[in-house]
Amino acid sequence: MPETPEITAATQRTLQGQRLKYYIENEPAGDRVDQFLRAFAAVLEFSDYRPLLDSYCTSSAKCNRCAVSCPVYLATGDPRDIPCYRTNLLLDIYRRYFTIGGAVEARFSRSFELTDDVIDDMLEVFYRCTACRRCTRSCPMGVDHGLITRLGRYALSLIGIVPKALQVSVREQLEGDTHNTSKVPKEALMNTLEFLSEELEDILGVTMTFPVDQTDRDYVFYCAVSDYLMEPETLMGNAAVLYAAGDWDKWTIGTGNYDGINYGLFYSDWHLENIIKRLVAEVTRLRGRNVLIGECGHASRSAHDFVPVFGGKEAYPVVSFIEYTLDCIRKKRITLNPDIITERVTYHDPCNIARSGWIVEQPRDILRSFVKNFVDMVPHGQENYCCGGGGGLVSVDEIHDFRMEIGGRVKAEQLQKVHADIVIAPCANCKKQLKELVEYYELPCKVMGLHDLILKAIEIPGAKSPAERAEEAALLAV
Amino acid sequence: MSVHDWIDFAKGPLFAFTFLVMVLGLLRHVIIQVSSLITGKGRRLRSAPWRRIIADALSWVIPIRHMTRGTVIFSVVSFLFHIGIILVPVLLIDHIVMWEEQLGIDLPAIGRGLADVLTLFTIAAILVLLGFRIFGSRQRSMSSRIDYLLLVMILLPFASGYAAGHANVNPLSWEAMMLTHLLSAEVLFVLVPFTKLAHIVLFFFDRISGLHWQLRPGAGDKVAHALFGEEAKV
Repeated sequence: MPETPEITAATQRTLQGQRLKYYIENEPAGDRVDQFLRAFAAVLEFSDYRPLLDSYCTSSAKCNRCAVSCPVYLATGDPRDIPCYRTNLLLDIYRRYFTIGGAVEARFSRSFELTDDVIDDMLEVFYRCTACRRCTRSCPMGVDHGLITRLGRYALSLIGIVPKALQVSVREQLEGDTHNTSKVPKEALMNTLEFLSEELEDILGVTMTFPVDQTDRDYVFYCAVSDYLMEPETLMGNAAVLYAAGDWDKWTIGTGNYDGINYGLFYSDWHLENIIKRLVAEVTRLRGRNVLIGECGHASRSAHDFVPVFGGKEAYPVVSFIEYTLDCIRKKRITLNPDIITERVTYHDPCNIARSGWIVEQPRDILRSFVKNFVDMVPHGQENYCCGGGGGLVSVDEIHDFRMEIGGRVKAEQLQKVHADIVIAPCANCKKQLKELVEYYELPCKVMGLHDLILKAIEIPGAKSPAERAEEAALLAV
Repeated sequence: MSVHDWIDFAKGPLFAFTFLVMVLGLLRHVIIQVSSLITGKGRRLRSAPWRRIIADALSWVIPIRHMTRGTVIFSVVSFLFHIGIILVPVLLIDHIVMWEEQLGIDLPAIGRGLADVLTLFTIAAILVLLGFRIFGSRQRSMSSRIDYLLLVMILLPFASGYAAGHANVNPLSWEAMMLTHLLSAEVLFVLVPFTKLAHIVLFFFDRISGLHWQLRPGAGDKVAHALFGEEAKV
């Protein structure tokens, strides 16, 4: 185990040799090149990627400015980790097999040819990328490398090349009995909610029964379903805000669909759309008015960006829980006690909500309102570094070493430099990856959700005060 | 034909022809992009985050805030390079005369002194960019012949134009240098629509390519059905 995440030329040399190996459920049999070209042709026929690819093929300057923006490249220094290299793998295929210029060139010269080796290269480099899209912001031309990597993953998935962990989860969500990625049955959900109610009663001293399948509510709540199993503090924080703001009778959880996760965002238009449609259908069933998304970067982005695209006439407004909480603070509907959190706190921006500039200042405004010792990492916000588990990689257990040594190395270096006691990460995937990084590099900080911290400081009329709760927690800890 | 006839030919019909090739080639790119955005995306364009996309695109006009660790030198050099290759060819007094004569366009000229400085900056910037490609292992690994060739092709009209205007640095006759200047610029005109230089117009479409996240509804199912039949499974 490395003692420090610091990146040196020597570590880069070592890391360049590390190859990514993930399980694939059914390795494609037969001619992979032919299968890939048929799959890519189908995508081009029915989707509308052609003008984008035409433009990128012609104008990509290959200036390499993107290289130093990529945390994976920074860790390895391997030319194959340059975002532009990755993008050009797919652009070369498009240019050669799907444009007239490419066909003509192939007749008269020895031009690029798609081989099994190129497929192997794509299989690896498209999943070495954490889909954080930091490179997109550094490309002077505006080439969206994240979009192209995703398209490459999509075409690969259509010939069966996709990490098994992602495929199995999506299958359960779209075709399984539980309709969620963690296979949490309705009974287990109800038990968890009951447990959360009891915990909240213990902590706060008030009774909150979670609203389930209530109709005509303002908000239908979705979080990453794994939060019901692994992040009870975040959910209790969410509940405390809704309760304190007087909105307890304005929200509901739907038992028809309670998973905000959408791995389609990472590798498939096909799945992305169908998962969004299921989410929208549940809101319609409950006659809800808004989609309220808990702390999860990719769930927030997929709902926020794709409910308007795929929702049709039922494109409900999507509200991030972070925006909701900030609104409650600004309207003085909730109060956070500024004397409870004394530790040094930093904030990790989940790429999926920060890169576009959508949610950057809101969580900081919330934190600064009750945390005295708040410090930002450098860089942060829209220019943040990915935790190293983005793009679905955090769910792929077998690439743990890659995520620690390469994908998350720059983030670990940042965490080490910021000297924070607590790092706030409002995202199920980021939290899991950061907790593993903290353990791996033995960093002296604790990873928490935003609402975990809010739960400690929120003032609720008729409930125990934050100071009382802190005392009780201290006693329990002893 | 005397060399002066060749110069007149290069300044006249050849200039008009190659310039037309460039304009029509670029126009083709614009038409394809605009029409495919309208027909392909249609109503989805309305729900696109336009404000964010446009603000981001504009922030690249003067990309100071995009200069991060490891990109500062490249960004400054590249910026100077672009200032030179936009301003000098368009606004140098000798070119203004050509625009007027050949295309009937009247533009204000920049002073010769400024044009000289910009030209020298541009030449220096091209040499630095070439240096990056040749000596930077990262850039070299990504570069193909055309990437080097285009920089040289841009260098030629700038260097020959400067030499033609400054007898003291011109190793050849004025006529030879002027002909080199005209012909190299005209070859470049023809190359523009077919090479990455087409980013003169495609830049604007690349910069708004975030629009392509507005995916086509129903396309995913159609792809799956075409490949795996109506009962396609995950």
